[in-house]
Amino acid sequence: MFEFAVSLFSDYTSRTILLGAASLGVVSGVVGSYAVLRKRSLLGDVMSHAALPGIVVAFIIVGAKEQFPIFVGAAVSAILAALVIALVTRSSRIKTDSAMGIALSVFFGLGLVALTWAQRMPDANQAGLDRFLFGQAEALVEKDVLAIAATGLLALLVVAFFWKEFKLFCFDPDFGGTMGFSAKLLDALITAVMVSAIVMGLQTVGVVLMSSMLIAPAVAARQWTQSMASMVFLAAAAATVSAVCGVAASAGFDNVPTGPAVVVCASVLALVSILFSPEGVFTRKLKNARSRREIRMDYVLVSLRDLALEHGDPGYAHSEKLLELGSRRGFDVKRSLRELAASGYVERAGEDNWRLTSKGVSAAEKSRGIPGGERR
Amino acid sequence: MSGAGRETVPPAVRVTDLTVAYGDKTVLWDIDLEIPRGAMAAVVGPNGAGKTTLVKSILGLVPPVAGVVRIHGESYRKRRKEVSYVPQRGSVDWDFPASVLDAVKMGSYGDLGWVRRPGKKEHASALAALEKVGMLDLAHRQIGQLSGGQQQRVFLARALMQSASVYLLDEPFQGVDATTERAIVGILKELVAGGKTVVAVHHDLNTVSEYYGRVAIINVGLVASGKVEDVFNSENLVKAYGGRTPFFPGRAASLRAV
Repeated sequence: MFEFAVSLFSDYTSRTILLGAASLGVVSGVVGSYAVLRKRSLLGDVMSHAALPGIVVAFIIVGAKEQFPIFVGAAVSAILAALVIALVTRSSRIKTDSAMGIALSVFFGLGLVALTWAQRMPDANQAGLDRFLFGQAEALVEKDVLAIAATGLLALLVVAFFWKEFKLFCFDPDFGGTMGFSAKLLDALITAVMVSAIVMGLQTVGVVLMSSMLIAPAVAARQWTQSMASMVFLAAAAATVSAVCGVAASAGFDNVPTGPAVVVCASVLALVSILFSPEGVFTRKLKNARSRREIRMDYVLVSLRDLALEHGDPGYAHSEKLLELGSRRGFDVKRSLRELAASGYVERAGEDNWRLTSKGVSAAEKSRGIPGGERR
Repeated sequence: MSGAGRETVPPAVRVTDLTVAYGDKTVLWDIDLEIPRGAMAAVVGPNGAGKTTLVKSILGLVPPVAGVVRIHGESYRKRRKEVSYVPQRGSVDWDFPASVLDAVKMGSYGDLGWVRRPGKKEHASALAALEKVGMLDLAHRQIGQLSGGQQQRVFLARALMQSASVYLLDEPFQGVDATTERAIVGILKELVAGGKTVVAVHHDLNTVSEYYGRVAIINVGLVASGKVEDVFNSENLVKAYGGRTPFFPGRAASLRAV
């Protein structure tokens, strides 16, 4: 394992891929946090799919393997899709979700048609256009990594610079607007940062999977923290870890494509977080079950105490039947008594009779005593 | 100030010929309204009367079809720092990852301007604002864990951070309990006593005369505006609410007699 890690870092090619994937991770984690907090996760999905026609058109026009025009083409068509969504929702009765669905399928469909057509052109296979669909991190070279890192750095600088404004805009854009922080301007800035993250990810994870690179790490991070700064930081960390794991997985096993491996790692992190974080689905179920059990046992404890006090002796024994009569539906007295006895709060006093131990008496004093207080 | 030589000071808020439309639906029609300085004014009207839109267009959030808004005699843009806004509690997602203190500090962003971050001074005044609304002990609580009344008080504290002279509030008593309502009214009255102007969208007609000195009754158009004792009567309310006045005519009559 250790040797494998060393070889991964010492080999020039795999180090290049690792660096590229890691910088993509940092940026998509940060940018994705904003998409999630603004409830615009789907917009990232639409924009990354919508980059495809731009990529193909740029390739058709420029014809060569030149990177820069392809990035510009991708950015232009992604932004075009965002504008189409804004226009459709503003000028028709179509709601945002439908508009996004329409924009995604139309742009991506156009992209696929153009792609099929372009692949019949000479040079097409050489350019490897279809790698933009699912990404091909293995093909990253130093020049690409430098481009990714530079774009990423620029995006991070914008976020750091406008940290306060972005936060205000995500939470309460109207209030920000009244203080002179134009919502339109901030929306444009955040969208620009998102587009540059998407363009960065095209080669590594591809247009289809890029959106999960934005959303999954941010969703994972959101489960663990209640502060925006740590959410953004955790999301960047989660995305970077996924990127590194994905690259390692594809280097270590045969026939594991890097992009999908990265996305699977990020999704696993998100799933685990949703289930097991402090407010996670599973954790909450567990907490609920524990508190139900405590209330059920408290009920028996307090009933036994109250009944016994009527005899002037807190240790006075009562029959299980009597406790069951006074109990409410849903409280399993038999089971509670067994559990209380196991932890030494009550003890058997002859056939079917129970009394509080001294430990039980003091526990009943401390308990919330809800049933006793309610008794008629 | 340019108006220093003049005899009359411009009102805190003056709205002239304001018309606002969403698509082909007219929401506000030709509103003329003046709120003098130091007033505590309510904006009332039935659902869909355009109350929130009126507040938002005073704040420049909704572009008007026609009309002019003046704050202390000048455009909102110029007087932005003199205005403080308390939006409807339901207008934001309280699940946002922020503490009470974070949210209140946002009130200082306007004075800070672009890029500059809140520092010690803003921290101290955020705590002072929280103390004023009685939420100092909840400063580090997550905003997602607050009750409705506490959320409203966070918004009020955030507005107090703005060191403004005109306060625009959109339904500050919506869904808060009686204790919180009294606390908020107390703070607003204190502001007015200190020479500030308060304008609040209000729903409960039974408390209008108790809380406010002035009232504007609207239903797309302006029905009446002025001192509560002059215009808050059943005649105007029927004009605004039609037959479904949620107000006892007897009480309105006794109001008129005051």
